[in-house]
Amino acid sequence: MTTQNSAGGPFTGVRVLELADEKGQWCGKLLGDLGADVIKIEPPGGESTRTVGPFYQDSFGPERSLSFWHYNTSKRGITLDLASEGGRGLFRQLAAGADLVIESFPPGYMPSLGLGYDDLKELNPRIIVCSITPFGQTGPWRDFLTSDLLHLSVGGQMGSCGYDDVPDAPPIAPGGGQAWHMGGHYACMAITAALIHRGNTGVGQYIDVSVHESCALTTEGAMASWIYNGKTMIRQTGRHAGMTPSAPTQTLCKDGKYVNIQLLAFRLSPAQVRQLGEWMDRYGMADDLLDEKYQDTAVIQEQADHISEAVRSFINNMTRDEVYAGAQEMGFSWGAVRAHDELPDDGQLNDRGFWVQVEHPDLEETFTYPGAAAIWSDSPWGISRRAPLIGEHNEEVLCGELGLSRAALAVLAESGVV
Amino acid sequence: MTQTTTETKINPRPLDGIRIVDFTWVRAGPWATRWLGALGAQVIKIEWPLREFGRAGGAAAAPPGITPTLNTGGNFNDTNANKMSLSLNVRSPRGMDIIRRLISVSDAVVENYSASVLENWGLGYEELKKLREDIVYVSMSGFGHSGRHKHYTTFGPSAQALSGMTFASGLPDKPPAGWGWSYLDDSGGMYIAFYTLAALFHRQTTGRGQHVDMGQMIMGATLNGSALLDVTINGRSSTREGYPPGNRAHWPGTPLVSGYRGRTVAPHNSYRTLGGGYNDWCTIACFSDEEWRNLVCLMGSPDWATDAKLATLQGRLQNQEEMDRCIEEWTLTLEKYDLMHKCQAAGVRAMPVQSNEDRAEHDPQLRERGLLREVDHPELGTRRMQNAPFVLSESPARNHRHAPLIGQDNEEIITGILGMSREELVSGYSDGTFWPDSMDLYPYQKELLQ
Repeated sequence: MTTQNSAGGPFTGVRVLELADEKGQWCGKLLGDLGADVIKIEPPGGESTRTVGPFYQDSFGPERSLSFWHYNTSKRGITLDLASEGGRGLFRQLAAGADLVIESFPPGYMPSLGLGYDDLKELNPRIIVCSITPFGQTGPWRDFLTSDLLHLSVGGQMGSCGYDDVPDAPPIAPGGGQAWHMGGHYACMAITAALIHRGNTGVGQYIDVSVHESCALTTEGAMASWIYNGKTMIRQTGRHAGMTPSAPTQTLCKDGKYVNIQLLAFRLSPAQVRQLGEWMDRYGMADDLLDEKYQDTAVIQEQADHISEAVRSFINNMTRDEVYAGAQEMGFSWGAVRAHDELPDDGQLNDRGFWVQVEHPDLEETFTYPGAAAIWSDSPWGISRRAPLIGEHNEEVLCGELGLSRAALAVLAESGVV
Repeated sequence: MTQTTTETKINPRPLDGIRIVDFTWVRAGPWATRWLGALGAQVIKIEWPLREFGRAGGAAAAPPGITPTLNTGGNFNDTNANKMSLSLNVRSPRGMDIIRRLISVSDAVVENYSASVLENWGLGYEELKKLREDIVYVSMSGFGHSGRHKHYTTFGPSAQALSGMTFASGLPDKPPAGWGWSYLDDSGGMYIAFYTLAALFHRQTTGRGQHVDMGQMIMGATLNGSALLDVTINGRSSTREGYPPGNRAHWPGTPLVSGYRGRTVAPHNSYRTLGGGYNDWCTIACFSDEEWRNLVCLMGSPDWATDAKLATLQGRLQNQEEMDRCIEEWTLTLEKYDLMHKCQAAGVRAMPVQSNEDRAEHDPQLRERGLLREVDHPELGTRRMQNAPFVLSESPARNHRHAPLIGQDNEEIITGILGMSREELVSGYSDGTFWPDSMDLYPYQKELLQ
């Protein structure tokens, strides 16, 4: 396990103002964990995403949302009421010294407050403003209401995900909040490109990210299947949707768990068939795969169905982890279908220092968080702090950085501006 | 609108002047470098036709009526836009010498091979640094370049299985439905592109390069949302009754805990619509009692819907099955886009399930935003290609070129970028450096050698 790490990431020195709900908080976290100084600006009372479960010890409260905790690491938090002139004034002061604003309000809202990109660039020509909205700033659907599920529906994910062996099953939307992830990834790409562009030219810019387009781009070959072949997709359990049906890959093991295998038996080499046969033979289940006849690719192609059947029946009689480890050691890219609660025991994740300890001083606790997707040799990833409490850094930012007196801050708090 | 290779630059692009040596293959890596190309980088794809994977396989097959060759894969064309191609046998001494020269004049190396491939070629990070001190090296193998399982390998579905993502998709009393494509190749590609950009930004601010060592399975583990904290903090298992809850936020009759998709609300489901076809479904979600009342009103306030037991979230969650059945009786009377329009006009969240055909042909939003724009390809003709889902006001991402024909840019790279002689170029075709003896040359290659 690695411990908390402060700064050092590639975005060290980049000041970000985040005005975002679920649409933009992932983007802010990705930048913050890579070193950016992210100030999350919430409405007084807290951002709406604080009411999303699960909750710490299953007990509801705006400071107890594990979803909020997960998506808002490495950020500081202040509260501002942008509907008030006082709040807008403080925001302008912050924007004058910021590199990036991430916002996820409905199109037109920020300009209606006098805080659109055109307004902010007057204060700070180098500023980059990134709007992350369901459909982008233009187009006939731009004001439609959505959710994660609705995006996965209209974006094409559900069109490709589901079952071919469960009668009457609906198209399935995978879980985990993936629509917001897809939008966030493309937003991060665009933002970093804009930062590089600014480094080259000194010029900031406006970025209009559409979650719908991000989802619509994230169905691998489905779009090309239509454009080049004029075919729609068949949903298939646990594997790629296809223009035509393919063989099952998700295989039940004797312990009731599944492995996902890729066994294109007709493509196996004689050496691979022998390898499989020897592996299966160690458990007395080689069937006839050690027969010399399989040392001929023509026979393998001819007997592909039989080979598949023999391997599947072997898998059915093994435990999932025996199959996973055995296959991987032979060079087959098979994977155990694991539940979330199995990940903390994964040796590879632990060897890579994946899990990180994050202190929650208010609770006098330290919790284990999921960590880095990559190991950076020169600019380490790290969670610099747990998600902010509501208004936790009001004094630090508004007094410490903007020079407001404590008395003035108290007056603003009293009047609901912060 | 048609974009061609000869289009002149309108705006400077963020990665103008950046050269990337691209050892990526299959999907995740190529999907990443296509975006770096769209942002202005000169991406040089290193390929060897005998070990090619992606140009002619699987869904990349040539469209009907076009001869399948290494240059006519439709999906390959979309996945590899905005790149140049150098056909080169890196396993020959001459090929390796050329690669080393190319790296020494490049800014980044991007690859998604198994963990030890570049190391075995003598191109591990320490070696790359000797060729160019500030090189950015981004790798994505299955499990990363360190750890006990670094020699294990993945493809999208196995990475998804291992990372917990497959388990989180499906109906609660059925096997996992998983993902209908390699989501971790697409998302992996986005991460590779983002991380390459981030490392280039770091180099711009500090002058230093680095190795960014990603693992596809590990990257997938970061995409589980709040589920992992529910495990590590609340100790909750995902192997529980009612999880995953299909498209619902909560499966009826099971303990009321989060499904990690946002708020636990009802209705929150997909419903069949008029026509009853394979993709005739619409999803509806009500995030408040008010949104529910809007839906009730839109449905014509039938008795079942105005029943007081459905007026509260608690009641709707408790009576979900009956409620969903009744909602579907109504949705079956409307076509899915019509349903969406009626719901949205009434303040109800609703969106149709869209197939690939729907997105390409029936989605006015994607059309207006120009998600698909035409690009010419010398053998596939003019085809629509997927564009960036973001608009950068000053330095837009643009698909400026079709996927390269294999080895199409050898001359420009060898004699242009590397300043080698034409004789060296020509001799490389006879000694197996630029093309294997066992394969015929394509016409454009023959033309080059004349």
